[in-house]
Amino acid sequence: MKTRFKKYTVEIPEEMAIPFAGIVESPKPNGEQPMMLTGGWRIYRPVIDSEKCVMCKSCVLACPDATVLLVDGGNKIGFNLDYCKGCGLCTWVCPVNAIDRVPELDFEDGVPFQDALFLLPHVEALYAD
Amino acid sequence: MIEITVWCTGVIQDKEGRDVCLVLTEAAFNEGKFTQAFDNYVDLPDRINVQVRKYARISDTVIENVFEYENHKPNIIGVTEATIMKGINVCYGIQPGSVLVINTTKDPEELLKYVPAKQKKNLKAVATIDALGIAPEQLIDYSGSEGAEDASAIGGGLGAAMAGAIAAVSGLVKKESVLAAAANRTAAKRGYDEVKIKQL
Ligand code: SF4
Ligand code: SF4
Repeated sequence: MKTRFKKYTVEIPEEMAIPFAGIVESPKPNGEQPMMLTGGWRIYRPVIDSEKCVMCKSCVLACPDATVLLVDGGNKIGFNLDYCKGCGLCTWVCPVNAIDRVPELDFEDGVPFQDALFLLPHVEALYAD
Repeated sequence: MIEITVWCTGVIQDKEGRDVCLVLTEAAFNEGKFTQAFDNYVDLPDRINVQVRKYARISDTVIENVFEYENHKPNIIGVTEATIMKGINVCYGIQPGSVLVINTTKDPEELLKYVPAKQKKNLKAVATIDALGIAPEQLIDYSGSEGAEDASAIGGGLGAAMAGAIAAVSGLVKKESVLAAAANRTAAKRGYDEVKIKQL
């Protein structure tokens, strides 16, 4: 079945072509699940000011999607924007207000664009021209 | 038959998205049209900010399709939160001559870049309306959409402004009908009057 995202080369097995709210197999052993990209939910993007950050790592613990990353050999905070849903918890917990929330539409990049909907093949046929 | 699909953010705009459909169908019904308005089972259970769809159908004749809870070939697309367009092709499946109406303070041209070429050629007009600015009240509805009773008025918030804008762009229903159908008459009127339209 055809790939859904430009950035990812995912071959979706036909029986797995289910709507977003469905249940999908966990990535093995652990990793990302590109059938469940949540970056598109984000209205405000977390932006870190590394000068202010004191590396307490509260944001890493708080993020419900494990999308706050330790980058630069564990010395800096980064984000996995393909999955960050913009909930704002990292901003909320930061003791030094190092994480800003900026409207996602102010940026050109950052959200994997889904140019077709996840559809079962027989439903897909209904959408066809 | 005209099919309307409204994209909105889960939970936060669940009611407002639904209200866009309900105000438009109520207005059309009072003009003697046949109507349907419904939520999508595919998108449920919705979660905060997940992209969800609400649907309406308006027709001059009896609508025989009563079992499909999804509009596959929409003619009108409403987007109650512009950022949704960055992550998903909201115009998927649109028919030639369709219109796209977005809630944003931006100009219509700025959001066209999120519509792929295949769908863009089917668009007749794209319009934007600052619906949140007109009616900042968004009633958050935790009851979900599955047949729960809607005790609050229909079209009290930004949904009314969106419905007014859609009526103005598409000419689907008369101005007076939309105003009469929305609880917030001023918002519907301002939506109708203040929408920025770009014909394509
Ligand atoms: S906004 Fe939410 S999802 Fe995104 S990185 Fe912060 S805590 Fe995680
Ligand atoms: S919570 Fe704030 S200070 Fe602590 S690591 Fe995260 S960004 Fe840095």
